[in-house]
Amino acid sequence: MSKKILIVDDEPHIRLLLTQTLEELEDEGVEIFTASNGAEGLEVIQTEKPDLVFLDVMMPQMNGFDVCKAVKTNLEISNIFIIMLTAKGQEFDRNKGIEVGADLYMTKPFDPDEILEKAQNILGFAL
Amino acid sequence: MAISLKRLVSKPEHSSLLTEMLQLVPQSVMIIDQEGKVLLEKKLALEIEDLTKLPAFPPKFPIQAESEILGWVVGEAGGSIATLLNYLVIRELERKSLITDTLEKYKEINLLYRVSSELGSYLNIEAIANFVLSEASRLIKSTSGCLLLIEPQNLSNGSPSGKLKKIAAFGQELTTDQPWEIDRGITGDIIAQGNAEIINNALADPRFIPREYPLRALICTALNVKGKVIGLIVLSHDSPIAYTAADLKLLIAISSQAAAAIDNTLLHEHKLQEERIKTNLGRYVASQVVDAIFAAEGDISLAPVKKNVTILFSDIRNFTTQCELLAPEQIVEYLNGYFTAMVEEIFSYGGTVNKFVGDMIVAIFGAPSHLENHEQKAIETAIAMQQRLQHISVDWIRENFHTGIGISSGEVVVGNVGSPQHMDYTAIGDEVNIASRLQSLAKGGQILVSRSIYELNQDKFDFKSVGSLNVKGKHNAVEVFEVIY
Repeated sequence: MSKKILIVDDEPHIRLLLTQTLEELEDEGVEIFTASNGAEGLEVIQTEKPDLVFLDVMMPQMNGFDVCKAVKTNLEISNIFIIMLTAKGQEFDRNKGIEVGADLYMTKPFDPDEILEKAQNILGFAL
Repeated sequence: MAISLKRLVSKPEHSSLLTEMLQLVPQSVMIIDQEGKVLLEKKLALEIEDLTKLPAFPPKFPIQAESEILGWVVGEAGGSIATLLNYLVIRELERKSLITDTLEKYKEINLLYRVSSELGSYLNIEAIANFVLSEASRLIKSTSGCLLLIEPQNLSNGSPSGKLKKIAAFGQELTTDQPWEIDRGITGDIIAQGNAEIINNALADPRFIPREYPLRALICTALNVKGKVIGLIVLSHDSPIAYTAADLKLLIAISSQAAAAIDNTLLHEHKLQEERIKTNLGRYVASQVVDAIFAAEGDISLAPVKKNVTILFSDIRNFTTQCELLAPEQIVEYLNGYFTAMVEEIFSYGGTVNKFVGDMIVAIFGAPSHLENHEQKAIETAIAMQQRLQHISVDWIRENFHTGIGISSGEVVVGNVGSPQHMDYTAIGDEVNIASRLQSLAKGGQILVSRSIYELNQDKFDFKSVGSLNVKGKHNAVEVFEVIY
């Protein structure tokens, strides 16, 4: 079964850049989905059951923490790997992140090479 | 830029559009990739039953990205679908080039962000230089690079001269031990101009100095701080590649941050050094004198000068006899206790401890910093020293250490004397010898002074004449007075 990645961010350019960064994974058969707010993101998570989600923290209509909590408390989808994205400068609340069960968090501006490497690792592709 | 036809066709918005279009076409049609794999097709049930109606060689319409064939639309009515697909390909190419560009810019922002946030955490120049080179080479293609700084002592006169020092380097072309001349070559020119340059064909540049390893293209920028060039960064490539203005802009942005960080670190190191000197100096002179030296106000200088000062010698009577029965560690402990108390008194009256010779203390009043009434201050110090010794808390010291003090004043040469590796701030002159002689004559508890001291202070202290003394090199005998306290 092909792997799926979901990008949830309200900023269009971040969605575009992340999609472009991860594009080469499409050759490995990875499908990339995007959502522009938390509520939409949760919907896609429930229907597509992606393997990996890049989740922005600050978003309208359900922030990243709430989405993460909803995923991690639902046994059907709680194994989905969630990377929280947080803007540099605004201090990421680590405790809150742990509390809602986030697997990893990264700061924006993100390093595209690092993002790709992380995604490859998580999805189990050789580097 | 690679475009996959499969990916293009399978995009949700494209696939629904194409499927709809295929429905409108009355004949069979299919979209295949370069290898002939079918990506999307429409078969008419009727045609499959009636194979004779199918043309043996249905027309193929190519789908191209620039000159590369991505696939074909096969079928009588494929022309318009191919036109649509070719249009989508062009759009996709545009979109990709835009996104790739944006991603590059994003990487630059990220790089600068990281450089600026991490630079502050490095406390030595080598670490900064290595960090900057490794970060710069992430985005600027290079097989070699180095960061050079102008040796600090050559910066003082404004125009750079002298040697360049390699702080960090990677790769082969720029890591050779061949020295970098500050006024020669492309780098020399860039330092002189304080600017940045791209040289994509180094071999053709008249300023180029061939080095051990071949180098074809280079990109170089001066490190500027407060309008002064402190060094430069060079990145180079061993094959002829084209550095762009964007590369140069990025390198300039990185180098300006690097320059500021290096400058900060140098300042910090200078400050640390100053602290170390202050700590060391604090052992010889009172803290206010140390501060005065660093504030560099007035005529305070450690260079030898002729100055009117007062010299005080103090020595423990029969020290060796007193200590004969003690273990060496015990002697040192008592001596340290004694010196600590005496130095405190000398400092509190503004004196400078010149040196300890065995159990003897030599102090100067009036140098290196000016001291008002230094003759009087010296007498006050001597009395305080004698009284302190009589009341010191260690019984053994109080009972066994009795000091004789000699004081004299006049013109002597004071300043740093010695070799560059070891210097002593000291005083040289007749008055030094006189004070030394007076001290050797003084009995335990006695303070002997020369006439010059007596004359200036006869209304402030009680004196008693004790005769005169012949000093080598002096025609007249020195009159000696004892301070009664």
